[in-house]
Amino acid sequence: MDIGAIWDLIAMQPMINTLIVLNHYLFNSFGLAIIAVTIIVNAAMLPLTLKQIRASKAMQDLQPKIAELQKKYPKDKQKLAQEQMKLFKESGVSPAGCLLPLLIQMPIWIALFQSIMRVLAVIPENLAGLSQYLYSWPVVYSTLPLPNNFLWLNLAVGDLFLAILVGGTMWVQQKMVMTPAADPRQRTQSTLMLWMMPIMFTFLSLSFPSGLALFWVTSSVIRIGIQYFVGGWGGLVKTAPKKQTGRDTKYKRRIADVEEAPAGGADIVAPSSTEEEGSGYEESRGERQDSGGGYPKSLRATRRQPRKGGSHRRKGR
Amino acid sequence: MVIRSKAVSRGKIFLLAILLVVVLTVSGCIGIRTSPGGGSGGTIADGTLFLSPVLEQAGGFTCAAPSTEGKVVAVNASDGNRRWEVTLEASAPTGGFGCATAATPVAVYGNPAVAGELVYVGGYNGKVYAINSDSGALRWVFPREGALQPIVGGVVAALDRLYFGCSDGKVYALDAETGDKQWEFATEDKIWATPAIDGETLYIGSFDKKFYAIDAITGQQKWEKPFETDGAFASTPLVYNNTVYIGSFDRYFYALDAATGSKQWEFEAEKWFWTRAVAFNNTIYAGCFDGKVYVLNAETGDEVVDAIDLGSAIYSWPVLVDGKVIIATEEGKVYAIDTENNRETLLEDIGEAIYTPLCVSEGILYVYTQLQNLYALNADSGARLWNLTIE
Repeated sequence: MDIGAIWDLIAMQPMINTLIVLNHYLFNSFGLAIIAVTIIVNAAMLPLTLKQIRASKAMQDLQPKIAELQKKYPKDKQKLAQEQMKLFKESGVSPAGCLLPLLIQMPIWIALFQSIMRVLAVIPENLAGLSQYLYSWPVVYSTLPLPNNFLWLNLAVGDLFLAILVGGTMWVQQKMVMTPAADPRQRTQSTLMLWMMPIMFTFLSLSFPSGLALFWVTSSVIRIGIQYFVGGWGGLVKTAPKKQTGRDTKYKRRIADVEEAPAGGADIVAPSSTEEEGSGYEESRGERQDSGGGYPKSLRATRRQPRKGGSHRRKGR
Repeated sequence: MVIRSKAVSRGKIFLLAILLVVVLTVSGCIGIRTSPGGGSGGTIADGTLFLSPVLEQAGGFTCAAPSTEGKVVAVNASDGNRRWEVTLEASAPTGGFGCATAATPVAVYGNPAVAGELVYVGGYNGKVYAINSDSGALRWVFPREGALQPIVGGVVAALDRLYFGCSDGKVYALDAETGDKQWEFATEDKIWATPAIDGETLYIGSFDKKFYAIDAITGQQKWEKPFETDGAFASTPLVYNNTVYIGSFDRYFYALDAATGSKQWEFEAEKWFWTRAVAFNNTIYAGCFDGKVYVLNAETGDEVVDAIDLGSAIYSWPVLVDGKVIIATEEGKVYAIDTENNRETLLEDIGEAIYTPLCVSEGILYVYTQLQNLYALNADSGARLWNLTIE
């Protein structure tokens, strides 16, 4: 059995048949089926999503410290890297923590994306090809082909309003996870990130069947909800107080502990340097007072213990 | 150990996000055609074979721009020499990005119909074209302004009219000479099937899961009520001995009384029926998406022999030649089933996907593949006589 067949068996077939069955039970509405299956998939991946969001937040909270280290070791890359790793280790933040959940989720999103495209069966070739993915359930056979109309939409063709909605919700989601950056380069990247993705997806939505755009909008709305639950409105409303969860508080407290630890953790610059970092850092420090995240128990134990020897610290000074 | 400090930078995350978009976009295109390809089988009249080629693939890894112009090509049936080709212009562009098409392509799925000096095709762009069969000159287009919904099934010429089903759920009858509309008959969902005409009755199935008999002259429904099933219809009916044979998406193959629409028998297969059946000597040969050909008693629906497993889905219409049913599979194998003993033999392994109806004339079998190649085979031996690319 080749990889394609395995992919079809474990990802495409369950997803496609679920979509069709949901369509049958949700008033023969493929739009509702797309929304339902997007919610189900998001719910199933919630632990991973939360992990990723929290890890990203923790990473963002460390950015001022990283910026300080970069300023301190502008030429000694190796030392800089060592100090950063030390900082990550001490604060319990894993760089892979942001990316790994994303990578794990990616195949599932791709499967859902492909399934919607296939089930929409816009053209005869697609409808004919769909038959190879179907389980031998009578409900599946009798439900096809699915109706393409949902609300004002023809799910088989692009829709301008929905495309704008895709861009809008993605922008909101992106804005929520943004934190003010002191570094101009980071600011540029953040701005690029904020606009590039929504614009790209808006154009993609115009071109692809709006069933896909419906999936993207639903996903974005769910992500906005999760993001709000984890970190409040974030960068969307600068002055709004952050809603906290226990895990967030633990994260923040952990990072704050690391930063304030006199003898442990990474090399921390003097307060005068901190001031030079500007308001971004101050804001970030302010946030640390009231929010945080969770860390493994093993790290929780290590943070209170002074580092033995400490010869690796301040060696370069 | 050198540790890459920038691995966690926003720049990397940004790149990852872009990568995600690209992966999603490309993966969404993989194996999923986003624009209609069409491709008809051949129709032969007066030694000329007419067909409409498969349009180039849109989507795939490259997300290449799809072809939008359709064609009708006429070649000599004996040697494949091209007589003429006519380009069918695409509809106005609608814009697009990614894998999407910029205009509705003039993909032609149904076989051309030939009557008198005209050859007719219906396009996915919602237009029907009448072309002079000698010169390739365009005679008329229906509708003259605008377009209907996509036409996926073939057009049928009979009774001085032209009949076809449309994705708008209607069956249309046009004056074959002028293209003027004679009547239309509405069903409740898309029609992708090609109608069958028997006498003055038109038979056609719809995605509304109903099968209709319509008076071909007046456009009035003939049966008291249409025949209903649990599945949509995309296949073309076969009328044989006052019985209509039709397969459905509910995996059943039905025999209906042609006069009343009452069910005579039904036969359950494993997957959809998409292709038309053929009949010979009171036996029905029905190809199915499960890769099997069901050999059924025309009167009772009983299996005459165990299903003949050809190993790959059957989209293409079979043909009957000298007591042999010739049938092609999706993976490109052409088989001959001897109706004497119902045993199959491999005529030729073309190795290219075959979706379009087979066509036979004067002992030559014509097979047009998804790779835009037209093969002329000896219908008896399967030997390749000639082949050419029609794109």
